[in-house]
Amino acid sequence: MGSELIIKNLHANIEGKPILRGVNLTVRQGEIHALMGPNGSGKSTLANVIMGNPKYEVTEGEIWFKGENILEYSPDRRARMRLFLAFQYPMSIPGVSVANFLRRSLEAVREGNRPLEEGENPSGRMQKRKTIPPAEFRKLLQEKMKLLRVDNSFINRSINDGFSGGEKKRAEILQMALLEPEIAIMDETDSGLDIDALKIVSESVNALTGPNLGILLITHYKRILDYIRPDYVHVMFNGRVVKSGDSALAQELEEKGYEWLKPEDEESENGEPVNA
Amino acid sequence: MLNISAPGFSREAVVRLSRHKGEPEWMLQKRLQAWESYQRLAAPLGRRGDLGTRRTLANFNFQQLQPYISTEQGKLSPAIEESLQNALVNERSGLIIQHNSAVVHIELSEELKQQGVILTDLDTAVREYPEMVQQYFMTECVPVESSKYTALHAAFWSGGFFLYVPQGVEIEAPLLAQVWLDAANAAVFTHTLIIAEDMSSVRFVQEYTSGVPAEQQALLSDVIEVYAKSVARVEFSNLQDLGQNVWHITNKNSRHSSDGSVTFVIADLGSKLMLETIGAGLVGNGSAGELVGVFFTDHDQRFSIESLSLHDALSTNAETLVKGVLTDQSRVEFDGMIRIKPGAQQTASFLSAHGLLLSKKARAELIPGLEIAANEVSASHGATTGQIDEEQLFYLMVRGIPKEEAERIIVQGFFEPVLQRIPLENLRVRLRRSIVRRMRGAYETEADTWVDAQERWEIEGVDEGAIHLDGNPKDDEIKLMEY
Repeated sequence: MGSELIIKNLHANIEGKPILRGVNLTVRQGEIHALMGPNGSGKSTLANVIMGNPKYEVTEGEIWFKGENILEYSPDRRARMRLFLAFQYPMSIPGVSVANFLRRSLEAVREGNRPLEEGENPSGRMQKRKTIPPAEFRKLLQEKMKLLRVDNSFINRSINDGFSGGEKKRAEILQMALLEPEIAIMDETDSGLDIDALKIVSESVNALTGPNLGILLITHYKRILDYIRPDYVHVMFNGRVVKSGDSALAQELEEKGYEWLKPEDEESENGEPVNA
Repeated sequence: MLNISAPGFSREAVVRLSRHKGEPEWMLQKRLQAWESYQRLAAPLGRRGDLGTRRTLANFNFQQLQPYISTEQGKLSPAIEESLQNALVNERSGLIIQHNSAVVHIELSEELKQQGVILTDLDTAVREYPEMVQQYFMTECVPVESSKYTALHAAFWSGGFFLYVPQGVEIEAPLLAQVWLDAANAAVFTHTLIIAEDMSSVRFVQEYTSGVPAEQQALLSDVIEVYAKSVARVEFSNLQDLGQNVWHITNKNSRHSSDGSVTFVIADLGSKLMLETIGAGLVGNGSAGELVGVFFTDHDQRFSIESLSLHDALSTNAETLVKGVLTDQSRVEFDGMIRIKPGAQQTASFLSAHGLLLSKKARAELIPGLEIAANEVSASHGATTGQIDEEQLFYLMVRGIPKEEAERIIVQGFFEPVLQRIPLENLRVRLRRSIVRRMRGAYETEADTWVDAQERWEIEGVDEGAIHLDGNPKDDEIKLMEY
């Protein structure tokens, strides 16, 4: 059986303000799920909370991955369990070359699911770690770059530094290809891309899909779903998944918008309008 | 007669030192005048609201120190040998080593000797080239009375390096200088005097290392004077990696004739407390000065750094770029001044200083200053201090990299643009390594893999093994459309 990401009744706050209000969702390896919903419905928050962004506080609920409740795990440990997030706004890190970063990242992910550098090392001695020989890494990277048709000049630049919006998104997909996640969350990978760029990025994603990769594709436009066909579509509204269906649901949303899905009990809570 | 190594500074100690060295009368008189200046001048104190580093130094008990350490000539200790091995590059033109108060080793290529290049210890230069020493030693570049501490230095200097590069001689491979300090309660004074004649060029790399017993203290006082004559080019690099029980007072200055240029590459990593004054005296038309500075402080280290780009001629250029990381309770004050004198037209001067704080208890005060008395100038300055960006950290962690290592990667990236400015590869690589090792929790091999990888990609460049896409690579470019 493949890996499962199971989210149960997840509640989360940012700076005391509730954003997620009981999300339930299951994504299995090999499945493509689209998560749609209007701006501010909590989609990106969900992506960040799944990866353990310390900015958000989980107040209730559970996140299970491969049979473990990962809520207490650090973001890096979650990543080493082969959970992946393609960022909506990838950070640029000046002075750190993509090649060095990717090599280190791959080494870390290959270490697998165990805590690293957590707590003091009583012996006081520095640990050794496994490294990937540069030649092997280079070969692997070039294979992936060929697959995604990424230009070689990428690798000697600083991470996302001076990249265009499209280049950043492609760099995220390249990382995804290299790190071979079991479940990947793609946070508005389509935003900021024109049609041509969207096509290239979608083709890259399609080149990676298969029985070993589960995808949670976050978007608020149907457009990308013309290229990446989801098995399931979910709609999020005010911090909850309010409707799930197959790809026909995306078409329905395209025609009718989101408003008709707004649950009546969400109209107001504590007498205040909900606009998270 | 009193022991030459007796502790304490006094007029008698000055006389004793000079007699011990068998110096000519003029040098004794110079020392005695300097001693008087030392007694007369007040110790420099900081501005109101600074971090107190200068006051701490002013309260230091100098009198417990020995102003001169007798060193046996001959074989170097294994510790020095080892540190030397790390510093040595295969391609070098010469090597000079000072152990505590005396120079113990000098080598210079035959070819350069024949071209008239002089590399020797300053004691020898006083005897053999008195006119040059009288003209250049602590006169115009770093005058004796620059501060109370330079006066003390002038009174008690010992050992030291003297480099003379004749007109038109271009020295390709670097000259290496090492100062090794391992005597407890020693006050070690080292002096570097570089005279690069018209149209000459030279690269000089000076390193400070110490092995003073942990519970003991010591002081290193150095003065670096660089004269770049007309169209001469000098590159002076300094790696300071002293133990954190050594106090360090350093003055570095250059004096430029027309079109002379000097680059200072300064890496300050060690010492308990450091007071650094560094400047470019752009008094020749068309001269240029560059300062690339890197620091890393931890534990209770205290640095006070002052830089001055002094523009006092037509169309001079200066660029100052300082980056540093602070952790634990360490404190750094940096005061970077651009001073443009009346009539110094067509000046371009740029200064930037950036501090990265890795601990909530670390403090940095980086202050840029600008004094402009000419109207045809282009000058800019900026200083920032901040902490590691949480979003950058999260980004790296989401790629599987543990937090501490992610921090190290960000620090590495922070330094990288300055490190790229360091021309000497050996120095750049060792500096990267030192920085990584200073950070907590580094893996045994991390520094090496990181450094090697960085160097390798650098060497290989962008185009090696490039994948050529079908057709014109431009076709593959992605255009960005904003919503």
